[in-house]
Amino acid sequence: MQRAIIGGILTAGLTSWIGILVVLRRSSFFGDAIAHASLTGVALGLLFNVNPILAATIYAIFISFMLPYLQKHSELPIDSLLGFLLPFSMAIGVILLAFIPGYQPELISFLFGSVLAIGWTDIYIIASLVVVATITMLVLKRKLIFASFDSEYAKISGIKVEKIDILYHILLATIIVAGIKLVGIVLVNALLVIPASTVRLFANSLKQMFILTPILAIFATVVGLVLSYLLNIPPGPAIAVMSGTMFLLGVFVKKIVA
Amino acid sequence: MKTPALSIENLTIRYPGYKHTAIKSVSFTVKKNSIAALIGPNGSGKTTIIKAILGLVDYEGAIKVFGEPVNKMYKKIGYVPQKFNFDQTFPISVYDFMSLVLYAKPKNQTIRQINKVLKYVEASDIINQRLSDLSGGQLQRVLLARALVHDPELLLLDEPEAGVDVGGEQTFYDLLEKLVEDKKITAIVASHELDIVYAYANQVVCINKRMFCEGVPNEVLTQEMFEQLYGRGLKFYGHTHIRHHKK
Repeated sequence: MQRAIIGGILTAGLTSWIGILVVLRRSSFFGDAIAHASLTGVALGLLFNVNPILAATIYAIFISFMLPYLQKHSELPIDSLLGFLLPFSMAIGVILLAFIPGYQPELISFLFGSVLAIGWTDIYIIASLVVVATITMLVLKRKLIFASFDSEYAKISGIKVEKIDILYHILLATIIVAGIKLVGIVLVNALLVIPASTVRLFANSLKQMFILTPILAIFATVVGLVLSYLLNIPPGPAIAVMSGTMFLLGVFVKKIVA
Repeated sequence: MKTPALSIENLTIRYPGYKHTAIKSVSFTVKKNSIAALIGPNGSGKTTIIKAILGLVDYEGAIKVFGEPVNKMYKKIGYVPQKFNFDQTFPISVYDFMSLVLYAKPKNQTIRQINKVLKYVEASDIINQRLSDLSGGQLQRVLLARALVHDPELLLLDEPEAGVDVGGEQTFYDLLEKLVEDKKITAIVASHELDIVYAYANQVVCINKRMFCEGVPNEVLTQEMFEQLYGRGLKFYGHTHIRHHKK
């Protein structure tokens, strides 16, 4: 439980932080599609005896670069491409898993998370990601926000938006895969999008967004983990339900206050 | 001859995937310290020309700003867009919004610069308000302030009157005129408002995929030119309905 809480706090803080940029870009479905597509990476890892999280990270980064390429060459809107990618890539993952002989308990843990089975190695990996992402965010925060909020004006103002986008996609893909260990592929958006969406209901500035969003995500994660322990329910869904409940409460409170 | 603020030569623009040219062989110059208006019907290419100046679309031909190729001069250009490319409902304050443009400046300089420009556009009182809480007129002032925050010498405005009521529109153009006089900048405005063009522009450029006319508004905006530009059967009222004619 101790490892689960440490891993949960680190992952929730990190995932919800980049989730602010996801919400800024109005690309919630993008994160969801990358998470689902990473199942193929997990399957490839299991098939070829490579660490599944490492394989999923590489595959998620590959997909995050493929999407802009497909968009440019198909001239289709991004939601159509995400609608193609999500089932296509997830189905490939399931088919690949069928080639692995025997029962695959890891499939369920990747789909819905396995934070109680988190090891110290996982925590070290997530902590390293937190350090790298925090340094990147601190150094490039204004550029990342500007390119996410108003890419056209950022370009006019001299920002190399394409380069910033590459960096953002690498960060996003890596952080999503880190989040999979906690809540799983299916529920990772609960940490990526819901905390930032909840805070935006009440925040007045970017500073408030960047302070309150990780606090809310960490709170939902810790409460979700405690409830899962006390009620003997799966931790990933407990965290996702907690996060979603806070969003619903936020909507009602805002309606009452307004 | 003095170097113009903007010179465009044989500008031709084709959008990828489209058969027809968006702009064909357009050439004109704009004098320093003046207001020039780009006029034409919807889809005539006014916004496309502004986007070409800003380097947002590929083009053939030459664009020079103060005598230098435009790609070396972006730091001297300010821009007020027609449409918002951002989520207006996101919790971002006016200060946050403007500080993004000054991403490379230290915080104290950013604060100083933002306060100065908001004071100039008479919007100091809304510095901490959320963008989503602003009226159309306030938002237009903030967009103008953002365009001015890095002290540009050439200002491009794409239908800045959109979403602003008649009173707000006139106040905005009075402010723009004051700006051109005080700061010695040059403004190029894409507009549908011909009375505004008459009242405030020193020069008008008529565009509908190609160039139809260029010159002083009183001289070039005739019934014949109006029909050529907007279609036969439309009545041109000249400047008879101008709210306060200044020329």
